[in-house]
Amino acid sequence: MADERLEYHIYEVFAQESQMAPAVHQFSLLASSPDMALILAKENFLRRQKAWSVWVVRRDHIHRTGPAEAEMFDRMDKTYRETEGYRYLKEKWRRYKQEPLTAQGMT
Amino acid sequence: MPDDYRQYLIRLIAMHGISEIMGALPEKEWVPRAPTLHRKLAILAKVQDELGHGQLLLRVAEDLVAPLGMNREDLLNGLFQGTIHFHNVFHMPAPTWADAGIIGWLVDGAAIITQGMLAQGSYAPYCRALERIIAEESFHIQHGESICIALAEGTRAQRQMLQEALNRWWEPLIFFFGPPPKSELTKHQDLGLMYRLRNKTNEELRQRFFHKYVPRIQALGLTIPDPNLRLDKETNTWHYTQPDWSKFKAILRNEGPMSRARLTLRHSAWEQNRWVREVLSTRAAVAV
Repeated sequence: MADERLEYHIYEVFAQESQMAPAVHQFSLLASSPDMALILAKENFLRRQKAWSVWVVRRDHIHRTGPAEAEMFDRMDKTYRETEGYRYLKEKWRRYKQEPLTAQGMT
Repeated sequence: MPDDYRQYLIRLIAMHGISEIMGALPEKEWVPRAPTLHRKLAILAKVQDELGHGQLLLRVAEDLVAPLGMNREDLLNGLFQGTIHFHNVFHMPAPTWADAGIIGWLVDGAAIITQGMLAQGSYAPYCRALERIIAEESFHIQHGESICIALAEGTRAQRQMLQEALNRWWEPLIFFFGPPPKSELTKHQDLGLMYRLRNKTNEELRQRFFHKYVPRIQALGLTIPDPNLRLDKETNTWHYTQPDWSKFKAILRNEGPMSRARLTLRHSAWEQNRWVREVLSTRAAVAV
């Protein structure tokens, strides 16, 4: 049985600082196996930084959008989705706490 | 991406990456000879950082040469074939422990000035690599300052060793930023400025180095080996003796004092570690 020749692949590296922290992209590296990628990730990017967990993902296994799609994320007013769009409520509450809204006041 | 932009980036980043690896060589000579265990751990960490920087930068360069059908091996071989150069400052000898200190303090200090500028450039993958690198260079500078201050506070012989190291490194530090403007050697600067990969000239960077480090060198009671060095307060410009730029050109041809020795050392490391690369690219057949 012949030895199997391994191909080198680019791996993207992510690290989580603690259990609650998101996995943050660090950088990429070149490795011939996931094991080697994990060792290099620790040696290259986590010599000082603390990590609870390290991820390595082959770059060609990542599906991503590109610069052309970037526009779709900011094309229209989205204040109806955000607290920003409901700021006027604070003023309403202040007014109604001083002078409660009554049925008589309504027309 | 325009072709000349890609070519400029490949040249710049491959040279930077290879230089990080070559830069570890003069310092690694001092790992087995460091004066205390603490110093040994610190310089070993620094050498490891430099090689790590090489890995980051080669990764960026690799993505740029991939469309040209090239890979990391081609970049590493470029050093041996003479198509990729390593930084002029790493062609110099480091004969004493004080040289290790001066390299950490002033060579890395000069490097952070250049890299701080490059980190604001137009190519994001390189900038992201530089951000990581600069964070570690700050440790390197303090590591070098710590060695230099300890020697400056030491015996007469130790102070003299430090002064002699500064004498050796002053000219290489002037060379570090490259030739002044209007020189035949500066044509690459213009393309870098045009593509916003740099926003300062060699001379502006060198002036920044003088402003930052001349007062500190003098604060340690050291003498800068240039009697003409002075600050013109009106123009806020440092005047200094122009070094012999033909020496600089010789270094670019790999004819500096240590060029051959360092290339030979790098080549023997590359050959001796071939078996490691072989092992890493083979999965041994296992009987089931």
